[in-house]
Amino acid sequence: MSDFTVIGKRTPAKGHRDIITGHAKYTTDFYSADMLVGRLLYTQHPCARVLNIDTSKALEIPGVIAVLTGKDVPGENSYDLYATDQPLMIEVGGCVRYQGDAVAAVAAKDEATAQAALDAIEVEYEQLEGLYDVFAAVEPKAKQVWPERSNTLSHNFSQQGDVEAGFAEADIIIENTYQTQLMEHAYLEPEGAVSMYDENGIMMVYAGCQAPHRDRRQVARSLGVAESQVRVVVPYVGGAFGGKDETHVQIHAALLTQATGKPVRLIRSREESIRAHVKRHPITVKHKLGATKDGKLTAIKVEGYADGGPYANMTSQVMEVFIIHASGPYFVPNSRVDAYAVITNNPAGGAFRGFGMPQAQFASERQMDELARQLNMDPVELRLLNGIQTGQKKATGVTALDASGMRNTMKEAIALSGYDKRHELSREPAPHLRRGWGIASIMQGYLLGPKVVDDAYMGLEMHIDGSVTLRCGVVDYGQGSHTVLAQIAAETLGVSLDDVHVIRPDTDKTLEAGSACAARVTHICGHAVLRTAKPIIDSLMKIAVDLTGANEYELALKNGQLFKDDQLTEYQMTDLVKGARAKRYLLSHTGYFSAEYPEGIFDETVFDNPCAFYTYATKIAQVLVDIETGELTVEKLTLVQDAGRILNPDGARGQSEGGTAMGFGYAVMEEIIVDQGRSKNNSLESYLIPTAKDVPEIITKFLDTQSDYGPYGGRAVSEGPVVPTAPAIANAVRDAVGVSINTIPVTAERLMEALDKKNKGV
Amino acid sequence: MYGNEYIAPKDIGEALDVLERHPNAKIIAGGTDLLVQMRHRMIEPELIVDVGRLPFDSILVDHEKVTIGSGVSHAQIGNSDLLQEHFPILVQASQLVGGPSIRNRSTLGGNLMNASPAADTIPPLLAYDAEVVIAGKNGSRTLPLSQFYTGYRQTKLAAGEILEAVQLPLPSASTTAHFIKHGNRRSLYIAVLNVAVRISLSASGAVENSRIALGCVGPTVFLAKAAEAQLQGKLIDEPTILAAAQCAEEESTPISDLRASGDYRSNIVAVLVRRALTEAAGELLGKGH
Amino acid sequence: MMAKQTISLTVNAQSAVVEVEPGKTLLRVLREDMGLTSAKEGCGQGDCGSCVVVMDDESVNSCLVLAAQAQGSQVVTLEGLEQNGQLHPLQEHFAKEWGFQCGYCTSGMLMSCYDLLNHNSQPSREEITEAISGNLCRCTNYRAIIDAVEIAAAELHKSEQD
Repeated sequence: MSDFTVIGKRTPAKGHRDIITGHAKYTTDFYSADMLVGRLLYTQHPCARVLNIDTSKALEIPGVIAVLTGKDVPGENSYDLYATDQPLMIEVGGCVRYQGDAVAAVAAKDEATAQAALDAIEVEYEQLEGLYDVFAAVEPKAKQVWPERSNTLSHNFSQQGDVEAGFAEADIIIENTYQTQLMEHAYLEPEGAVSMYDENGIMMVYAGCQAPHRDRRQVARSLGVAESQVRVVVPYVGGAFGGKDETHVQIHAALLTQATGKPVRLIRSREESIRAHVKRHPITVKHKLGATKDGKLTAIKVEGYADGGPYANMTSQVMEVFIIHASGPYFVPNSRVDAYAVITNNPAGGAFRGFGMPQAQFASERQMDELARQLNMDPVELRLLNGIQTGQKKATGVTALDASGMRNTMKEAIALSGYDKRHELSREPAPHLRRGWGIASIMQGYLLGPKVVDDAYMGLEMHIDGSVTLRCGVVDYGQGSHTVLAQIAAETLGVSLDDVHVIRPDTDKTLEAGSACAARVTHICGHAVLRTAKPIIDSLMKIAVDLTGANEYELALKNGQLFKDDQLTEYQMTDLVKGARAKRYLLSHTGYFSAEYPEGIFDETVFDNPCAFYTYATKIAQVLVDIETGELTVEKLTLVQDAGRILNPDGARGQSEGGTAMGFGYAVMEEIIVDQGRSKNNSLESYLIPTAKDVPEIITKFLDTQSDYGPYGGRAVSEGPVVPTAPAIANAVRDAVGVSINTIPVTAERLMEALDKKNKGV
Repeated sequence: MYGNEYIAPKDIGEALDVLERHPNAKIIAGGTDLLVQMRHRMIEPELIVDVGRLPFDSILVDHEKVTIGSGVSHAQIGNSDLLQEHFPILVQASQLVGGPSIRNRSTLGGNLMNASPAADTIPPLLAYDAEVVIAGKNGSRTLPLSQFYTGYRQTKLAAGEILEAVQLPLPSASTTAHFIKHGNRRSLYIAVLNVAVRISLSASGAVENSRIALGCVGPTVFLAKAAEAQLQGKLIDEPTILAAAQCAEEESTPISDLRASGDYRSNIVAVLVRRALTEAAGELLGKGH
Repeated sequence: MMAKQTISLTVNAQSAVVEVEPGKTLLRVLREDMGLTSAKEGCGQGDCGSCVVVMDDESVNSCLVLAAQAQGSQVVTLEGLEQNGQLHPLQEHFAKEWGFQCGYCTSGMLMSCYDLLNHNSQPSREEITEAISGNLCRCTNYRAIIDAVEIAAAELHKSEQD
């Protein structure tokens, strides 16, 4: 297989010059002289009926140009995602159902005036008793958060084999309950939108988001105008990780522009962002596992309860992914997984890098660790024994495609991490310190599943000067998607990466490519780029054949030069383009790709929407516990992934390392504390993410493999790294000090409490 | 955006005049506490008086004491060889305040006047027997830092006065100190527990005096007097240290907050006091005492 | 709202005079009154470092500096690092090493590193880590940033020696 020119090479990211010079424009960087400041008035209570809203005093303040409430929305006063249950602004007579509900929107000439307007709006609430506990919410007699629907938003399940028989067969049963926490995205850029009418009277909205075309639909729907009258432009985005997948303040900003005729900037403060935007769902996982005395898994029965807040958001979808990953990367002949999306008055849950995988596999990997202990079996051997093999059916009925990564990443991680030489390091390096090691083996399923439309359009134009424009409707918020897609275009068309100009997502200039989520971009959008490039490269090669008289298989285009049998010819891309133009061969194209799956791999009788493609990964954690204070030091995290061909080494490494750092925060320090529906730590001072002095040594590696299904053989890399971190660390703590921490984060307090109980023999 | 009047007096006389005429004015130095409080609308002063132009930014030494101006930044303290030589745990604590860019602006005076029980520099200052120098219309007055705090975020600074400097007596040759800041993260963190200890030995090798200052386990940073009494006149050994550590725990009255529960804080007071004393004692041994 | 004041300062080696309320933060003055939008507001209260610029030769959180406090100061923002079309080695190596992903922390991060190298031409990895310990990054694990600074420092040091 010949070497590639652009694929797999180190190259700076697309847009790097803008970023390192400080010229990159993010949503908040758009200013104009006549721009108004928009702000939202959020509810004072997490659960209350709105009795009255009096905006009159606010309207009297000089410089306040508009004050809107729910009744002023010309179109639909709701978001429209998987349901239309979430109002943009709660109206009089309606109920606020979580702390992030808005009741009014203001536009004023400056910040101080906007704040004064908010202060002057008088809202009368009748406080209601809220539901703040998932298990209280699913009680049959529980008060309903919504009069018209159950607190169980959805109950989905997968079932394979005979679970009762499987447990009967088991020599050992491990049953535990695991609890994960409410996690905040904490991207450095809070949500915001800047809206204005453009010179053609079109409503233009700049917003850091993940699904601009979907946002456009929603803006148009609420403004009561045709979709074609709205344009969404995505500037540089300061991180998203799923938190900007759902529409946030774009519609409110557009409503204010519609009401005032003026440009409006509506940027959430950090506190407003933490209060209002969706978070990673806390999930309670009841996990029961059965195995023979030799360690062979016979059955699992798993129940997951996700606290989704009051609205549908993406909770049912997260729980689908939970179901898909509940077994871990193992062969389990009998399984039953029940997933409950629960409605409460707590802060809302939504998409967050991993999307149910971290919660599911925290439980599954802690369980495997416990099983190994109770059987007195090597935790590596136990996992290798049960690892899913290519061709076997996973617990969701889908046939495993190349699953060699499960074992190969494990073997590599053991060597790379020093785990195989761990006996050379002291387990008690000081009287108060204990060292331990933990392993986690996981799978990262990607794409949206066979039941969901998962597609993309891409656009390519080949210019006379031999450069290329890639019209890219999918968002790059730092994960490097534009670079990878440009690399695919460059490699396929035979130009240099520098010669590919990427037009960033703009609903006027780029067709819909779906959301930047579910680690789908490389696969779906990458294939779309290939489909788009194909007719263009065909045109160019026809001319190349004409010019050289050679056979197509003897010719290659690299960096805009034509090679015959690896020898440089006299012909450049410009010659080929000129020739193709003259012959009216197609040189610009819009291509389309919709997810394609191998025939016959799904079994709908087990589960109807599993993932087909997986990236397998193993993480090994080395930790030190201070047994007198509970302080946990993670010395090293080693992550090995089988992500197929790595299209961009720095980008992929960045996803591995960054995802691990995020998983580390999730494991040890991050938690939104909620009390009666109110979050208590709404700042980056009180919600802690890892600083440079906190991150452990992180070693990452990719196996040298290729996927048969991904563009240029690549697989997803971006969500997996988060997933095994918490279980690996919790398993390492168990190894170090003999306590099982089944609730994360593993804080010093939690660890101390567990150590105290152990010392007292409780 | 803070909609307030602002004045930056160029000398102390002007500053005191302004404060007299505007009793509700708020002083700004580095702004790293004040502006955060104003952002949260905890205070909304009509006038901000910037003391940053006053001549309070020097570190001076004479034969008996060091004087640190209230306007000296934590970064300046961190870079001071003089302070490192005589007051190493003050330097250490100063370098743990916030992060590098915060430390370039935040001042020693600001840390003291913010008067948080979680302040990082107060425990070392108490351990070193610091005194505060206060400027007022009637001239300067000095009082021990150990008497400066009267309650939660309450100080003895009277209306119209400005904290001018902190004075520290030069420690004896047979003095060591140790500081531990315990928290939930390793940078940009507010302490869960602060412990600063200082031990000075007499010629016989017994403890001549000691200070054990605790932060985050009471309404103010305080000296654990009963714990100190355990060490007084004794030769330092493990049982003495343990007794002192135990006393320190009993003198603590921690509350629960977002960072930690009161129980957790209680549970680690003795551990960290013991460790700090052990380290300090070990250093003395190292010095040949 | 009280009267605006005239604040004069030097920004990126150029004199600047702005008429602003004295209580406006330096961050907002740079972004709104001077069109220098590289410094970002990630939290508005010194918790994240996205707003860090260099003022009078030290890194500061510009969200915690009042405009009036910047009177007479010399301020350097990221826009000022490029000289005559030449990128500073820090900028070059941040690009080469992928010392950023979303780029939102990058301005503050680069200015903290710039300040470091102005005072310490051969920083160890520990010293680099310390210098960026007030800059939060949610995308990376800081490793690529530290690598980039190390390489840039070596390059600068070498060219100073030559």
